[in-house]
Amino acid sequence: MEITYAQLASDSPLDEKSRYLRTLVLDALEGGGRGHLASALSLIEIVRVLYSNILNHDPTNPNFQQRDRFILSKGHGCLGLFAVMADQGYFPKEFLKTFCSFDSSLGGHPERFTLPGIEFSTGSLGHGFSVGVGMAMAARLRKENWRTYVLMGDGELNEGSVWEAALHAAQHKLDSLTLIVDYNQMQASGNSDLIVSLTPLREKFASFGFEVFEVNGHNLIDLDLNLRKQPLSGGKPKVIIAYTIKGKGIKSSENSTTWHHKAKITKEEILNLRRELLH
Amino acid sequence: MRQEALTTVHKLARNNPRVLFIGSDLGAGTLEAMRKELPNQFFMEGISEQHIIGFISGLAQEGFIPFFNTIGTFITRRAYEQVCIDIALHNLPVRLLSGGGGMVYAPLGPTHTAIEDFSLMLSIPGLHVFSPADANEMRTLLEASLEDPRPYYIRFGKGGEEIVTSDFQIFDFMPRVFGLEQSEFVICTTGVMLQTCLATKQLLESDGRSTTVIHFPYLNQLHISEYLSLMQNAKKIICIEEHVPRGGLFTQILHEFVNLCLSVEKVSHISLPHSFSHNYGSQENHLNFHGLTSLAIYRKLLNLGN
Repeated sequence: MEITYAQLASDSPLDEKSRYLRTLVLDALEGGGRGHLASALSLIEIVRVLYSNILNHDPTNPNFQQRDRFILSKGHGCLGLFAVMADQGYFPKEFLKTFCSFDSSLGGHPERFTLPGIEFSTGSLGHGFSVGVGMAMAARLRKENWRTYVLMGDGELNEGSVWEAALHAAQHKLDSLTLIVDYNQMQASGNSDLIVSLTPLREKFASFGFEVFEVNGHNLIDLDLNLRKQPLSGGKPKVIIAYTIKGKGIKSSENSTTWHHKAKITKEEILNLRRELLH
Repeated sequence: MRQEALTTVHKLARNNPRVLFIGSDLGAGTLEAMRKELPNQFFMEGISEQHIIGFISGLAQEGFIPFFNTIGTFITRRAYEQVCIDIALHNLPVRLLSGGGGMVYAPLGPTHTAIEDFSLMLSIPGLHVFSPADANEMRTLLEASLEDPRPYYIRFGKGGEEIVTSDFQIFDFMPRVFGLEQSEFVICTTGVMLQTCLATKQLLESDGRSTTVIHFPYLNQLHISEYLSLMQNAKKIICIEEHVPRGGLFTQILHEFVNLCLSVEKVSHISLPHSFSHNYGSQENHLNFHGLTSLAIYRKLLNLGN
């Protein structure tokens, strides 16, 4: 029987660093007493590989012109992004504990004006892809070589504007644009296929004119290799469908709608999450 | 006015590579001269206003100045959230060129008539809303806009409007006053209703009733405090706008009056009704029907004044 990417993602072990990044997520979650935990845990390896191996970026000079642009279009997954950014040195890790507090730079969705290094404020779904198309076009018009990466959730693909953006990205042959789908196949209300089925997602993007790559979204090498690949056909935008597990790494949050977003999280719940992460 | 706007964008683009024109399937031949001369600064995208607002926001974020033209309702209604979040939240120098303000597209029905666009756009923090009266004001506004890093929403009239603002060759956000510093009647208006109100002024003055018209091309801040004496001494003040009564010029006037502790007792208005029209015909038919003509305004002011 063929082993699916979803199975690979489920079985994929986490190394020490990925576990550590998850402890940072829990630090922020504990500080704020709320957050989209499971949505963040599914994208940590994707963001980790981007910031460690792929993006041309500089935490000490976040706005230098030749940087690659990265937009977390599924802004509710920001706990994962904040953990990686803290680890990369964009801000002190102690800041994580201020998550969602009144004067924190770390809100429930990422904001350009409060946190250096955030390219574009997101939160309402279906915006980041179009903005990324505009940025990729800007690079072309300026004849600059930086790339644009947009990370979206699969639930976000329900938004019609996403497919408008896909049509236009292909029409303009924006091959400096990489879309990454955090394909955990869950959304707030349950299994995505039971809400609005995206299957077959590869064929959908291929028919829209994208070069499509499928990866195990928790496997660092698989992510690295595919993020580095350039489209085989010239002039095509690229999409990486990253099979992931919502809530990956903490059993009680895996494939859990309860932990999609939770408020009034107790100390005891945090302790239990930490224990589960260690085992 | 639209033609002047598009021609001005072309001229601005010629001298500034940051200036881009973007349309959404606006029809063959639109700005053909610019498309041929400056193909890298001309984009005719598909029918996808939500995407286009995000797209031009990405371009603006990277230093470009996009001028996006389409029918007003497709900007203000369909892409409201993109205007709010992608453009206004990020304070990007995007210029939304909104075609068919008010009842211009009356023959096409209520999906196309931008009767509440001021209200929608003025409710967005940081978005600056303009309603020029003629091609001269449109040109001066667009030229001045290049120096401003903030986002603009600009309502167009139908086109072919009589030029009445030629005394003003630099756009400075201030109201345009036509008349004396003291008069019996003050008519406040915006956009292409200015010409109608100037005709009303002529009718009233031929009866010996002094009248001043104030045109507000910039709707976010009316600067009423600059005209306190005029407002305080007027017998009647009327607001004329091709817009629903809520959230447009009339509301802005009331806000500023209240903030300045001025009495609103003598302020009235003629607006479009707060309802969708299920009639067609021409823009003129609708303006006639709702009393937005020089004669109807004249009669109303005479009634109020007597």
